[in-house]
Amino acid sequence: MPARVDRVISLAPNLTEIVFAVGGGDRLVGRTSYCDYPPEAKSVTEVGDTLHPSLERVIALKPQVVLISTASQLEVFTQQLENQNIAVFVTDPHDLEGVFRSIDQIGEILGKKEQASTLVQSLRQRTNAVEQAVKQKPPVRVFYQLSAEPLYTAGHDSFVTDLMRRAGAISVTADIPGAWPKYSSESALASKPEAIILPTGGSMGTGNSKVAEALRQSPAVQQGRVYKIDDDHLVRPGPRAIDGLEEMARALHPDAFK
Amino acid sequence: MALLEAHDLSIAYDHRVAVADLSLTLKPAEITAIIGPNGAGKSTLLKSLNGQVRPSSGTILLDRQPLEKLNRRSISRRIAVVAQEAELRFPVTVLEFVLGGRFAWATNSGWGWETEQDLNIADAVIRETQMTELSGRLMNELSGGERQRALMARALATEAPILLLDEPTANLDLSHQATLLALVRNRCDRNEAAALVVTHDINLAAQFADHLLLMKEGRAVYSGTPEQVLQPQVLQDVFEVTVLVDAHPVTGGPRVTPVHDTYRHP
Amino acid sequence: MMNRVTLRKTIISCALLAAALLLAIVSMSLIGSEPLPVRASLCAIASLGSTSCGLTRDQFDILFQIRVPRILLAAAVGGSLATAGAGYQALLRNPLAEPYLLGISNGAAVGTMTALVFFGANEWTRPVLAFTGALLATLAVYRLARGRAGSTPERLILAGVIVTTFLSSVIVFVTTLMDATRIRSFTFWLLGDLSGTSGALLPVAITVAIAGALILTLNARSLNLLMLGERDAFDLGVEVGRVRVVVFVVASLLVGSSVAASGSVGYVGLVVPHLARLSLGSDNRISIPAAALGGAVFVIVADTLARTIIAPRELPVGAITALIGAPLFIYLLKRA
Repeated sequence: MPARVDRVISLAPNLTEIVFAVGGGDRLVGRTSYCDYPPEAKSVTEVGDTLHPSLERVIALKPQVVLISTASQLEVFTQQLENQNIAVFVTDPHDLEGVFRSIDQIGEILGKKEQASTLVQSLRQRTNAVEQAVKQKPPVRVFYQLSAEPLYTAGHDSFVTDLMRRAGAISVTADIPGAWPKYSSESALASKPEAIILPTGGSMGTGNSKVAEALRQSPAVQQGRVYKIDDDHLVRPGPRAIDGLEEMARALHPDAFK
Repeated sequence: MALLEAHDLSIAYDHRVAVADLSLTLKPAEITAIIGPNGAGKSTLLKSLNGQVRPSSGTILLDRQPLEKLNRRSISRRIAVVAQEAELRFPVTVLEFVLGGRFAWATNSGWGWETEQDLNIADAVIRETQMTELSGRLMNELSGGERQRALMARALATEAPILLLDEPTANLDLSHQATLLALVRNRCDRNEAAALVVTHDINLAAQFADHLLLMKEGRAVYSGTPEQVLQPQVLQDVFEVTVLVDAHPVTGGPRVTPVHDTYRHP
Repeated sequence: MMNRVTLRKTIISCALLAAALLLAIVSMSLIGSEPLPVRASLCAIASLGSTSCGLTRDQFDILFQIRVPRILLAAAVGGSLATAGAGYQALLRNPLAEPYLLGISNGAAVGTMTALVFFGANEWTRPVLAFTGALLATLAVYRLARGRAGSTPERLILAGVIVTTFLSSVIVFVTTLMDATRIRSFTFWLLGDLSGTSGALLPVAITVAIAGALILTLNARSLNLLMLGERDAFDLGVEVGRVRVVVFVVASLLVGSSVAASGSVGYVGLVVPHLARLSLGSDNRISIPAAALGGAVFVIVADTLARTIIAPRELPVGAITALIGAPLFIYLLKRA
């Protein structure tokens, strides 16, 4: 890792957001086509999408460090970069603590330690505020619907499961192994969630805006407790995850935030 | 009264003329043999007679009606074909195979079932072709000759009065060659059927056929009785080989023997 | 030695298979990721949905809104694919002919993908475009396979392989254009997914399955002759051109409706007709209806495994049919 990093490429949307959040946006010379936040990111050169970045493009941009998320399963790509003597930083936060750590680490790489610290501190403050507010409330049983057809939800290893826990909810699928398991409709129906989180909007557009067939009779639907939250605030382990946390908490426990 | 007539038939495909200006008539109780060198268009002619190949010009009349006006099934009730069989990739018994000949008579051809009569006819032709012990065996367990007889049985099962046979004796040993053509002869005599046999075996044709048609390059070169057609000069022109034609010691009919330049001298 | 197939033998075999199908439907309804009380469930099924059998509201919904529709879809898909396979094998005179090998399934998949991407909201576009895709793939295979001597089965299979691999590349290409979240669900669907039993498409799938099997069975005698050779069939009175068109169109419909509903469930069109012919003979009058019924049972059982082995998670049913079908197929090949 070079002492001073001026040229960095990010191969994941959450990592791009972190780079800008710690003030290193001007050092970003490459991003994926999905890295659309903040708006300034869009003027950075694209090197492909998260699953298939172009090795040539990356090399041509002469980065000093490439930030990679393990969720993209780019082991081979990583190896190829290392063969080219390009420093690689791999991270994949599974929970909020992991996000804070990543922010600190990226801050250090970019020589923005101070900004990173400040950022983490304010994020922690907001997190604690939320957790305090919902501590007294009984946790809400929640079903996280990643997609309706086929029915996918968030499992034990998913980042969102941690967020839901902190927002004062129990995910009915919290113990299912894996990060994004395909779920049985029967079990979804039998789980009778009190609330349903629908990640939609953002880069997902209008997709996933309807509750799955199996859940149409659930208590959540009957009581109108179906909450659409911006997908980008929930699945990107970065600073905006705290936005997602707050949005979920407010939706699930409105009276805790008067 | 002719059963099948072809008038001025011409068949062309792929910019080649396979048959040109050919006419023939098939009458009941008559066997007509078509002989000629390879590429003479014999098989193509045969295929056109039951509608498989469309002529470019000329007409074919079946029972005095134009062939193209008739539907598939009525043609198959009147004309049966014995040709080289395709490779069988599915197991089928001889009896099932022969019963296929009754298809054209089915009242419900889509999902009909064989009638008592169908079974009786099938049994009868299986007996006629001496296949009775083999009737339960699978077709691809049989020898080439046995399969040919099954083909013959199937054609006979259709009870069609017109039989078209394309090289029916090709895979048969001597005894079965004669037996098969005897079957054809029998059909023609007993049931007044008409048969058209394409064959390479000139002598066999001479023995069994009433009428001979000699073809070369798609044209009818000569037609008539075997005695009339099997003249040395004619044969030499068509086959481009020297021949000797004498009288068969037993039948009295013409016997054709090619004369080669090189011989084994015993 | 196998006896000749008669009407009686056909009716008995089909009755037995139909009974097996009914048994499969009822028994597999009792199995799932959520346990249901056996007696109450049987009572509810037998009474065709009576609410006074002792099931809770949720249990009732699980049984009749989720499980039974899914099982019926499995039956429709299994029956359709097996029938289509039997039809192709008879028509192309090749026991290895199968919707996959011929590119028909991929054609239907591309059609469905087009419907999803461009007309996502309207679910009727899916089976329609799937059928169109299947038919176009069939035509492509046919044109490619036309040789001077007509299209021999060998050329057809080769053409089918070309079309299949080409369409597979198209599918991969479209998949890479999709965003990451969609890819996962789409890959699952491509391997066969029976969990999406949305309202209107289920009756369509069932109707197509039954109609398709009936139409092909009604042409069974012609297919018997076609199976022995196109020339033979023609000479014996079969309207070869007409039957060929019927089989291709009906089979495309069958494959199209299956793929639109559930993605590509493999091996059914290959293994089930093979088993039917092995046990009952090659006569299509019995082997086509038997394949239809047997295919339904096969996919019902495979799907039950897919939705219970790692419950409450699910596997794509195509993975199960491949795991069962591939070794079975190798065994059948060795016996032949």
